[in-house]
Amino acid sequence: MLKIQNLSATVGEGEAAKTIINGLSLEVPAGEVHAIMGPNGAGKSTLSYVLTGRDGYEVTGGNATLDGQDILAMEPEDRASAGLFLSFQYPVEIPGVPVMTFVRTAMNAQRKARGEPEISAPDYLKKSREVAKMLNLDADMLKRPVNVGFSGGEKKRLEIYQMLMLEPRFMVLDETDSGLDIDALRTVAEGVNALRAPERGMLVITHYQRLLDYIKPDKVHVLAKGRIIKTGGPELALRLEKEGYDGVLAEAV
Amino acid sequence: MSTALKDMIRNPTVAELELVARYAALKADPRRERLFEAFAQTGLPHRRIEDWRWSDFKAAVTALDLPATPPAADPLATDGVATLKFTPQGYTAPASLPPGLRLLAKDEVQAMSGAEDAPLGALAAALSGAKNAPATLMAEVTGETPVRLHMVFSGPGAINAARVVFLLRPGAQLEVSESHLGGAAFSTALVEYTLQQGARLSRIVYQRGGKTEAQAITALIHQDADAETKQTVLAFGARVARIETRLVHQETSSHATLNAAYLAGDGYHIDFTSHVRHGARACITRQVTKGAVLDGGRGVFQGKFHVPRNAGQQTDASMQHNALLLEDGAEVFAKPELEILADDVQCAHGNTSGALDQNQLFYLRQRGIPLEKARALLTEAFIAEALEDAGDHEEALRAEAQAWLSEVRPAPRSRMLSSMRWQTRCAPLMPTCIAASTRWQTRRPKLSKLPAKTCAHS
Ligand SMILES: Nc1ncnc2c1ncn2[C@@H]1O[C@H](COP(=O)(O)OP(=O)(O)OP(=O)(O)O)[C@@H](O)[C@H]1O
Ligand SMILES: [Mg+2]
Repeated sequence: MLKIQNLSATVGEGEAAKTIINGLSLEVPAGEVHAIMGPNGAGKSTLSYVLTGRDGYEVTGGNATLDGQDILAMEPEDRASAGLFLSFQYPVEIPGVPVMTFVRTAMNAQRKARGEPEISAPDYLKKSREVAKMLNLDADMLKRPVNVGFSGGEKKRLEIYQMLMLEPRFMVLDETDSGLDIDALRTVAEGVNALRAPERGMLVITHYQRLLDYIKPDKVHVLAKGRIIKTGGPELALRLEKEGYDGVLAEAV
Repeated sequence: MSTALKDMIRNPTVAELELVARYAALKADPRRERLFEAFAQTGLPHRRIEDWRWSDFKAAVTALDLPATPPAADPLATDGVATLKFTPQGYTAPASLPPGLRLLAKDEVQAMSGAEDAPLGALAAALSGAKNAPATLMAEVTGETPVRLHMVFSGPGAINAARVVFLLRPGAQLEVSESHLGGAAFSTALVEYTLQQGARLSRIVYQRGGKTEAQAITALIHQDADAETKQTVLAFGARVARIETRLVHQETSSHATLNAAYLAGDGYHIDFTSHVRHGARACITRQVTKGAVLDGGRGVFQGKFHVPRNAGQQTDASMQHNALLLEDGAEVFAKPELEILADDVQCAHGNTSGALDQNQLFYLRQRGIPLEKARALLTEAFIAEALEDAGDHEEALRAEAQAWLSEVRPAPRSRMLSSMRWQTRCAPLMPTCIAASTRWQTRRPKLSKLPAKTCAHS
């Protein structure tokens, strides 16, 4: 489903350009959930931004395809309409734009891009109520401007709310667990699991094994210095939790 | 035309000669003469006059021909609300007026305070009385119940000069909306509001002119004790458009909210100039101006608070102007000025100018919202605060802003301002601060030379 081959990318312009992703290869078949772990500054968030098309990153080599479609050539909004979703490590505040307006606009824009009819207001509200209930989200929060004044955990829950509303085909979750309390972690994981399906794929970036107790990955990759240096099953995450990265990093050399 | 008349303006332009001729054709009246002289001192104001250096009417009003564009549609027209209409042909009023409103069409020209400070306002007053308009149209508002009134200023024609003088009796309430729709080569409107004790004025102004037109809207507001004005303006500009508000708190505890939003497209110029004098104790002024400008558009903000040494004690005033430069080539000129001579005051001002936030834009696009739509949504949210107090008219104004934003042609990616963001802020200013003028421009090479501060604190 998602196939990344020998991807390299820089951040910064001209002289200051710095290679962050350095020959990274990774494949997530449809129906699977893969975890990415790795030390701070390894390039995990950068990978998520390169995949989703944020400005300021330049792809200098390799390619990435979603179901065979070259996503790197597409505008960010077109990647989103093609089904790519990023749950941000640091969700962005949008003053003056209520959650409802934002998510409905996004939903209809994606539908329009795919040639589907818009969602009606009652249908939207019904779906929104269901999703909010599942995530224990206060209805009042959805009337407030996007992320403005939200606590860290609330912001993460709102990311998952958006994900459940938009029903993307491929999801990148960047440290969605950080900032969540124990109960919220469980509800959020339930939300994420609700989207697991044979036709969907997921890349879960995390520092902690704990999240993987709830969202069971098919594979675990270790990302360091801009590439995948080790891939294993769920037991790899357990080993990292116990030993830290030193052992794995040493083996890779 | 006598030589004396011709000599009133130094080196007159064709347009100025036409204005002199129009004045000469009117019934002679010493007050009218004084008003026209106040205008003639400067002639059509131009960039060598400090107050007008960014809005050059002399250059913009070249000939007083019929403009190419018809007047804009009126979003504030409301069924069942009495409407006064001012056109180059004169004015019309409905046969029946709401209770509490009385119109007096006077044959004599009424004097205007501070005529020298508002040359285009003085011109409007000096030229009123042509065709079927009275020399001075007065409106008196009385009673407890709010009076609603709508006024339309529009062409077609060459010159549309209009003046209305409102007197709000103690405790009276007026909810007035003004649509300045262009359609004349040159329009100048003077609207005066005197609020007696405890009177309340809600003033909504919609301005939209054509690319070849010049428009001046001058408001003089005088407030007695406990009076309150709430003003909201939405402006789209014209070849040159100036919206000037001169407000005097002349007795204690009067309150003014002056909000404005502007959207300037290619070839449009919008100037917001305000002058607020805190001439009495414990008066409050809140001013929020927000604007967004495209390549080839210009926004001007000149805001002044004047707080005299003794009279202005316990003043509470804040001034905020925030501009969004949506594209390379957008221009914003800002001159916040706080002249505070009293020592027991609370005054603050903030002045920022920058591009849309790239993180926000990306966040919206990652959710599937196309670039242009994302930009429109963020810009609308940005100016929304300035329209919040427009009451019943908020929705109509927002709809106009939305429509404009949705029609904006897509900017080629290279022309969209992206990585830069800069701002200037100075607050609070105590006890004396006369801010130097700033000029923001988005032409990239010059960026590094932009001044970092707007205020000289002394
Ligand atoms: N705009 C930028 N300019 C310069 N360096 C950058 C920029 N963006 C990212 N980097 C650098 O790239 C490296 C990778 O950053 P990235 O955010 O991808 O790390 P990460 O693996 O997500 O780390 P964490 O676990 O802390 O979230 C870091 O060293 C970071 O400082
Ligand atoms: Mg990260």
